[in-house]
Amino acid sequence: MSYSYFLGCVIPGRLPFLEISARKTFEEIGMKVGDQAKCSCCPDPTGAAQLDHETFLALGARNLCLFEESNSHILSLCSGCTESLKTVKHILDNDDEKKKEINSKLKIIGKNYKGNIKIKHFAEVLYENIEKIKEKVKKPLKDLKVAGHPGCHYLRPSEIINWDDPLNPKTLDELIEAIGADPIEYDMKNDCCGNPVEKTDKEISLSMLESKLKSMKEAGADCIACVCPACYQQFDFNQREINKNKNTDYNFPVFYITELIALALEIDTEELGLNFHRIKVNDVLQKIN
Amino acid sequence: MSENLKRVMVIGGGIAGIQASLDLAERGIVVELIEKNACIGGRMAQLDKTFPTNDCSICILAPKLAECSRHPNITLHTLSEIKNLSGQPGNFNVKIFKKARYVKEDECINCGVCIEKCPMRVDDEFDMKLRKRRAIYIDYVQGVPSIMTIDRENCLFFTKDACRICEKVCEREAIDFDQKDEEFELNVGSIIVAIGYDIFEPTSLVSLGYGRYLNVVTALEFERLTCASGPLGGHLKRPSDKNEPKKLAFINCVGSRDIKNNPYCSSCCCMYTTKEAMIAYEHDNEIETSIFYIDLRAAGKGFREYIQRGENDYAITYIKGKVAKILEDDQKNPLILYEDINTSQVKQLKYDLVVLATTMVPKKDAGELAKILGIKIDDYNFFKANSYHPQKSSKEGIFLCGACREPMDIPTSVIDASGAAAKAAEIVMRG
Amino acid sequence: MQMVDFEFRNDLIKENFSLNYCYQCGTCSSSCPVAFITNGEFNPRKIIEQSLLGLKDLLIKDQNPNVWLCCTCHMCVEECPQNVFLTEIFERIKNKIVLLGEPYPKTFKMQAKSIVENGLAIPLSQPIIRRRNQLGLPNIESVNINELTKLLEATNFEKKVNLLEESK
Repeated sequence: MSYSYFLGCVIPGRLPFLEISARKTFEEIGMKVGDQAKCSCCPDPTGAAQLDHETFLALGARNLCLFEESNSHILSLCSGCTESLKTVKHILDNDDEKKKEINSKLKIIGKNYKGNIKIKHFAEVLYENIEKIKEKVKKPLKDLKVAGHPGCHYLRPSEIINWDDPLNPKTLDELIEAIGADPIEYDMKNDCCGNPVEKTDKEISLSMLESKLKSMKEAGADCIACVCPACYQQFDFNQREINKNKNTDYNFPVFYITELIALALEIDTEELGLNFHRIKVNDVLQKIN
Repeated sequence: MSENLKRVMVIGGGIAGIQASLDLAERGIVVELIEKNACIGGRMAQLDKTFPTNDCSICILAPKLAECSRHPNITLHTLSEIKNLSGQPGNFNVKIFKKARYVKEDECINCGVCIEKCPMRVDDEFDMKLRKRRAIYIDYVQGVPSIMTIDRENCLFFTKDACRICEKVCEREAIDFDQKDEEFELNVGSIIVAIGYDIFEPTSLVSLGYGRYLNVVTALEFERLTCASGPLGGHLKRPSDKNEPKKLAFINCVGSRDIKNNPYCSSCCCMYTTKEAMIAYEHDNEIETSIFYIDLRAAGKGFREYIQRGENDYAITYIKGKVAKILEDDQKNPLILYEDINTSQVKQLKYDLVVLATTMVPKKDAGELAKILGIKIDDYNFFKANSYHPQKSSKEGIFLCGACREPMDIPTSVIDASGAAAKAAEIVMRG
Repeated sequence: MQMVDFEFRNDLIKENFSLNYCYQCGTCSSSCPVAFITNGEFNPRKIIEQSLLGLKDLLIKDQNPNVWLCCTCHMCVEECPQNVFLTEIFERIKNKIVLLGEPYPKTFKMQAKSIVENGLAIPLSQPIIRRRNQLGLPNIESVNINELTKLLEATNFEKKVNLLEESK
C-alpha cells in the first residue's frame, strides 16, 4: 500500500509554503505520495477535540475512512494531526463497543471504519529512509548549529505514538546529523513550545516559548528545526512578541526539517518558499553557502 | 556418613550470609561460605554509618568478619561461584568454580607495597567508581581475608606479558602468576542463599540528570563520599568543583514504587536518607538538607523518633512531593523542580548537591544462580520465597535470607539470616 | 463547603480507570511546565485529587485549578509512576464542563464554529488559495460540508458545545 498526505488545517490554511519542501523531499527519495480529497479537521487535539469525545472519534474516524477507501496509508505533515488520528485508531481498534458506536454514526454518511491503514508522521518516514537521504546529500550543512525541537505530540503519549523515546528522543537529531548539520544539546530540548496553551492564556504560552529560546541561545544555536506547524508558528511568529515585552533580541530562523533537507540535497532551493518565513533566513543561507 | 553431612553451604558473604554462617558454626555445624568477590563484607562494608543507632558500619561488621575467618567451623571460599548442583536435601553435591588469586594465601601479609608500585589504574567498584584502584588490590582496607588479589583482566602481565613489578617488590615472595582456576566439589546437607542486592542505575531516568549533571549522585556514592575510608577521606566535597556543599537535597523513591521501573518499595530509603543527612550535618553544622518524599515509611522500632530527631536536631526539612525534574545552572548547581504538596506551590530550588535514593534490585546474576540451584524467582528477579515461611525457597533444603529475597535493612537481614540458619540446621541435625 | 459528588467521581473512573491508581505523589506537578510557570495555580496533581474526591463544583463550576490551562505536552503521563492517564482525564473533565453548559474559553468555541461551518479549524481564504496556486501546489478538494453536517448532527455536536444559542 502507498501513502497519501494528510495536510491538516494549519499548513494549507496559513503556512502553505511548508508543503513545498515536504513534497520535493519525498519525491527526491523516490516515494510517490498521493493526495486525499475531502479531509476535514483531524480534529485539533489541542482544540475542538477536547469539547466532545464522541465527535472527536467520529471526525477522526471519517478521515481514516477516506484513506481506507482510497487504499492508502496516511503520511501526516503535522504532529497534532498524527496524534489525533493515532489516538482515534488506538481507541477504535481496542474497544469493540466504541467501534460499533462510531460506525453507527458513520453509517449515516455511508462510511465504515475497518482499521486497516497505518498512520505515520512524515519525520517517521524520513527517518526510515535516512540512509537514502544521507546518500543524496550534495551540500552538507557543515557547522550549522541546529536546535532540534521534537515537540510534544511527535513523541507523546508514547503508548499511542509508539515511535521515538518520549523523554530522550533521538530521531530528529539523527536526521539533522544526516544532512551534515550539528544537532546541539540544550537543557530545554524536550519541553513544550507553549502553542496549545495560547488558546487559554497567551502570557503563559509566551513564557514557555521564552524558556526554550533562552536555552537555545545559551547553547549557541544558529536556527531551529521543527516537525509541527503549531510549533513552527509559535517559533516563527512570536519571537517578536517576546522581544517587545522583554527587551530581548531573539532572532532564530525557523525551519521545517524538510526545508533543511531540501537545502542539503539541493532540491530546487530557490523555490522552497523560504522568503515567506517571518524571521528572515538569510544568515543561515549565507552560513551554509 | 552423617557427620560429613552436618555441613551447610552459605552462598554470599554479606551481613546476612555472615550472620547465618556464625549462627550455624556456633551450634557445631560446618559452614562452607562461598563469596564471589575477593573479600567478604558485602554492601554493609560500603556504608558509612547504619540507622537507627548511627554506629560506624565497618566497626560493627569487622568483629563478625574476623570471627568468620577464625572460626574453626567456617571455611571461606572467596573468588568462588556455584557452577552446578545435584542431589537432594540432606545430601547435595555442589560444584564450585574458584578463580585464581595469583597470590599465595599463606604468605601475603597485606603490607601494601605491591599496591603502591602497581602501574595500572582500574575503576574501583567498591568505591562506586569514584576513584581508581590498582590491578593488584584488596576490596577495602579492612577486607577479610586480608590477602591481595590480582585482577587478571587489567593486569599488564596477563594482558601484555609485561611488568611483574609486584613480584619483584614482594618481600614474602607471595606473588604466583602460575596459579590456576580451580573446580572442586562440596557435599552439604542444606544451602542458604544470601547474595544480596545491586542498586538501580538512574541513568535511564533522563529527567533527573544523573550521569549528565556532576552534582547529582546516588545514595551509595554519597556513602563513599562521607566515609572516612572513602575517596574524600570523610570530608564531604561535591564532585564538580570540590567545594563543600551547604544545601543538600535527598530524593526518595527514585525508580521505586514506579510501574515503569520497579513497582515495589525499596523499604530502607526513607530511613537511610535521614541517616545520610544526619551524617552530613555532623560533618558540617552549616549543612541544611531537604528530603523529598511521597510517604515517610519509618515503621520499625524507634524509626519514627529517628525521623523526628532529624527534623528537630539536624536541620532536615521534609517536603512531601516527588521530584521528577532536575536542571542545572551555569555553576553546575542542581535546580530541583517540585510541588510542595502541603502548600500546592510548584517551585524551583537551587541546591549544592542532590542525592538520589534508588531502588534495591536483585543482583544481575540472580537469575542464573536460580537456574543452577533449581529455585524459582519472582516477577522482579528476587528469589521466590515460600508463602508460609519466607526463608524457604521453592526447593526443599535451600533457604533464602537477606536482600536477595526482598529489599530489607540490616537489622531485618540479621533476623532473616538467623531464621534461615535455624531452618538449614534442622535438615543437617536430623539423624 | 465542598460537597463530594460520588456519581461524578464514579463517572470519571468509568471513563478512565487509571484515575484510581493515583497515590498523590506530585510527580506530575513536578514535570508540568504550566504548573511551574503559575507557581502551582495550575496543578495537575490537584485536579486529579479533586477528581478522586468527586469535588464537582471546584472542577466544573469554579474551574479551579483551570483545566483549560493544560498544554497537552503529556509529560505528566510519561513520568507518572502509576500510569495515570492525566491528559485524557483532563479531557473528560473538559467534556463535562462543555456538556453542563459551564463557560469555557472562547477560542475553543470559535474553532468548533469554524469546523461546523467549514469542516476546518482554519478555513481556506481566497488569498491563501491564490498563494497555493502561485507556489505550484495542487488544488485539493475540500471536505463535503453536507456530509460533515450530517455527521455532526449524529453526534449532536452543535448542541453539546452550545453553539446553537449563538446562531440564534
